[in-house]
Amino acid sequence: MGTETAQTISDLERGMKMLEYLEKGPWPSYVTELKKTKYPLEPYAEGLARKYTPWLSGSFRVRYVFSGILARRSRDGKFVEIHFRTYAPAGRFYSTSYLRKVVEVAKRYGIGLMEFGGNTGALVLNMIAEKADEAVDAIRTIMGSDVGGSGDTFREFYACPGPALCEFALYDTLHAMDYIRSHPAFYRYLNTQMFPYKIKFKFSGCPMDCATANSRADFALIGTWVGAPEIDQGLFRKMVEEGKINPKEIVNSCPSKAITWNEEKKELNIDGSKCLKAMNCIRKAFPAIRPGKNRKIALLVGAHVQGHFGPKLARAVALLDSVEEVVPFATELINKYMDLAPRRHRIGDMIIRRGFKVISEVADKTLPNKPKGTPSSHLRISIGTNLTDDERKMYENWAKQVMSEYFGGGSGSR
Amino acid sequence: MSLSITPEPRDRMNKRLPVPFSTQLPEVIRSNYGRWIDRKFHGNGIIEHVSETGDKVFTVKVGLPSNSRVSVDTLEKFIEIADKYGLGVVRATRGMNIEFITDSLDKALKIKEEVEKLGFPVGGWGTSLWHITSCTAYLTCTTAVVDAPSITQVLYNNLKPYFTGEEKLPAKLMVFVAGCTNVCGGTLAGDIVIVGHYGQAPKPDPERIKFCLPSSTEALKKAVPDVAAVCPVGAIKVFGKPDGSVGIEVDERKCIACGRCKNVCDYFDWDPTKIGVAIFVGGKTSNTGTGPRLPYKVIPWLPVNPPEYREIVAAVKKIIDVWRREAQPGERLGDYIDRISIDEFMSKVGVPRTRHNRCEEASWNFGVRQFITYM
Repeated sequence: MGTETAQTISDLERGMKMLEYLEKGPWPSYVTELKKTKYPLEPYAEGLARKYTPWLSGSFRVRYVFSGILARRSRDGKFVEIHFRTYAPAGRFYSTSYLRKVVEVAKRYGIGLMEFGGNTGALVLNMIAEKADEAVDAIRTIMGSDVGGSGDTFREFYACPGPALCEFALYDTLHAMDYIRSHPAFYRYLNTQMFPYKIKFKFSGCPMDCATANSRADFALIGTWVGAPEIDQGLFRKMVEEGKINPKEIVNSCPSKAITWNEEKKELNIDGSKCLKAMNCIRKAFPAIRPGKNRKIALLVGAHVQGHFGPKLARAVALLDSVEEVVPFATELINKYMDLAPRRHRIGDMIIRRGFKVISEVADKTLPNKPKGTPSSHLRISIGTNLTDDERKMYENWAKQVMSEYFGGGSGSR
Repeated sequence: MSLSITPEPRDRMNKRLPVPFSTQLPEVIRSNYGRWIDRKFHGNGIIEHVSETGDKVFTVKVGLPSNSRVSVDTLEKFIEIADKYGLGVVRATRGMNIEFITDSLDKALKIKEEVEKLGFPVGGWGTSLWHITSCTAYLTCTTAVVDAPSITQVLYNNLKPYFTGEEKLPAKLMVFVAGCTNVCGGTLAGDIVIVGHYGQAPKPDPERIKFCLPSSTEALKKAVPDVAAVCPVGAIKVFGKPDGSVGIEVDERKCIACGRCKNVCDYFDWDPTKIGVAIFVGGKTSNTGTGPRLPYKVIPWLPVNPPEYREIVAAVKKIIDVWRREAQPGERLGDYIDRISIDEFMSKVGVPRTRHNRCEEASWNFGVRQFITYM
C-alpha cells in the first residue's frame, strides 16, 4: 500500500480491503459479525483507511429519557448511528428466555447488532433512529430492563459473579449491587445528568477484585477479612501427602512472609498480623486454606482513568460489616461532590484538589465507629504523549527492528 | 407481541431496573448459592465448581469477536446451544467473552465442540491469555484516535494459542486495547494495555471550533468555557478578539496530548500520520503478589498501520516473550518486573528511553492493603 496506489483508489476501497483482511485469521472476526447486520460499514471502512474516526456526536432525543441513549452522525452527514446502553441483571447472568427477548428487540427495533459485554457493564444494542421511541418502550416492557448509564449520572453498576459461581466470594456482591441500584438514594439520579461527571460503583467479592474496582470505581466495595486465613490442618496434610501442593512453595508465595511450615509437626502457621490478603496461599491450597471468618467489606473511593488529573487507584475509607452501611456515606459524599467539584472532575480529582480530608470528614460523620484505612497516593501519570519528530523517529526505528525480528526481513516493505 | 408507544411516556422518568438476578439463575445455582467449596480445571476453558451439597456446575468460557460484537444470528445459535447442552443460562464476562453453564463434563465438552464448530475458541483460564478487551473506537465513538477493535482482532489472531492453552504462559495475562486516552477499553491497570493517543497537540478546526465557544466576549467574563476549563495543564487559552468574537489557542509546548479537550468538543483536528499507541505494562487490580498497581509506560509511541498493525503485534509479542522466558511460574508481568526492576525489564525489551518513559519505581500499597493496620 504505497502512496501512489493510495491516490488511485479511494479511501473507501482501501478501507474495504482492510476489512477483508480483518475477516481472515483464526479468531472469530467482528467484521463477519458486522456484515450479518445492517451496520453501516462504509463510514467505518473509510475511517479505518484515513486513521480518523468517522463519527461526530449527534443530537437525538427520546422524550423523558435523559441517559442511556447515544447518537452519532458521520462526518459527511450520510449516516446516523444510535445505540442504547441497557441495564443488565447483576453479575450479567442472562437466561436464554431473557436473551430471546433481547434478540426480538434487537431484530425488530435495531440493526441486529449488539455489544454483548459492554465495558461499563451494560448490554449495548444498536438501534434504528426512527424506531427509537418505540424501542425504549420495548426494552422496558418486553425485555424488562431499561436504557440508562450514560452521561453525568450513575454508570451501569458492576458486580463480579460472587456467590453464584465463585467459592472465594466474601460477601453477596449480586445482592449488594441490586440493593444499591434500587435504593431510593441512588435510584433517583438514574435518569438525571446532575453530577459533575460520571459515578461508578463496582462490587468485588474478594481482594482479587475481578470487577476491577480498584482501578475503575468511584465507589469500590471489595470483600475482605480480618486476621489470618483459616487452615484445615488435616486436609492440608492430606493434600501435601497426595502431592497436590508443596508447602515450601506456599511459604515462598506469600508476599509478606507471614507463613511458616513446621516440618516436624506437619503444621502450617499464618501470622494474621502480617497477612496482606494477597490470597496466593488460598488459591494454591483451597479448600485447605480459606479466607478467615471475620469478614468485612472494604470501602474505597476515587479510582478512575478518565478524569481531570489522569488515572488513579482507589483510596481506602473504611471496613464495613454490611453493604447497607455505605448508603449514608455515599449520599453525603455525592452531595458534597455536586457542591464542590467543577465540571468534568471525578471524585478522585476532587480528592487531589482538596485533599483526602474531603473524604475523611464525611467518613467520620457517617461511619463513626468503623476502622479507617490509611490511604496511599501515587504520582500522577500521563497516558498521552506529545512527542517531537525526532522522538517519533526513534520509536519508529525500534519498531522496525522488532518487526523484522517477528515478521522477517521485509520490515520496510509496507 | 405488538407494542405501541406507552400511553404515558412520562413513566420513562422512572427507570425500570432489570429483572432480579435470581430469576436469571438456573435451579442448581440458586440452591447452591454461596455454598461452593471447590473448583477443578478441565483444560483451559472449562471449570468445575463443586458445592458442599455435592452438586456440580461446569462453566465453559468462549472467546467472542473483538469488542464482544455479536449479531443476533450468532446470539440465536448461542441460545440454542445453551438450551440444548447447558442450563439455559450464559454469562457475559468482565473480559468481553461469554460463559456457558452446564451440569456435566460431557455436556461441557459438547458445548466446546459445538461452539468450535461455529468458529469460536474455548479457553482463557489458568495460566493463559484471559482476554483482550477492546473499546468500540471507530465503530461508534467520537473521541477515538486509533481503531481498537481491529487492533484487538489482529492481536487475537496472533495470540490465539495463548488463549486456548496450546502455548503456555507463566501466569494469567490480561490485555486491554483502548482507542484513546479515556481508556474505555477496560482498565489502565492491566498486564498489557495498548492506548491510542494523538502524540501531538490538537489543532482547533478553524471553521467549526466556534460551535464549542461562546459567541461573544461578554460570556467569557462569566465563566471559562468547558473546552479551556478541562485542560489539566492550562494549555488552552480562550480570549476575546477585537471584533467581539472569541478566539482559541493551544500551546503546543504545554500540551500533554491527554485528549480531554476532545472529550467536550468534536472540532479539534490532528495530523493522522502522528497518531500512535502507547503500551503500558505490568499493572493489575488484583491483590495477589505485590498488590494492585498502575502500569509502567514502557513504550510511549508506536506507529499505527491498519490493517496489520505489525509494529504493535511485534512489540506485544516481544514483551510476552521476555516475560515467558524469564518469569517464575505463577508470576504475573507486574510481579516479574518488580523482581528484576523496571530498568532491567526495559533493557531486555530494548526500547529507547526518553523523557516519556522514565518509568520511576514506586512502592505499591493499594487496594485492601491500605487497611493493613486493622488486618
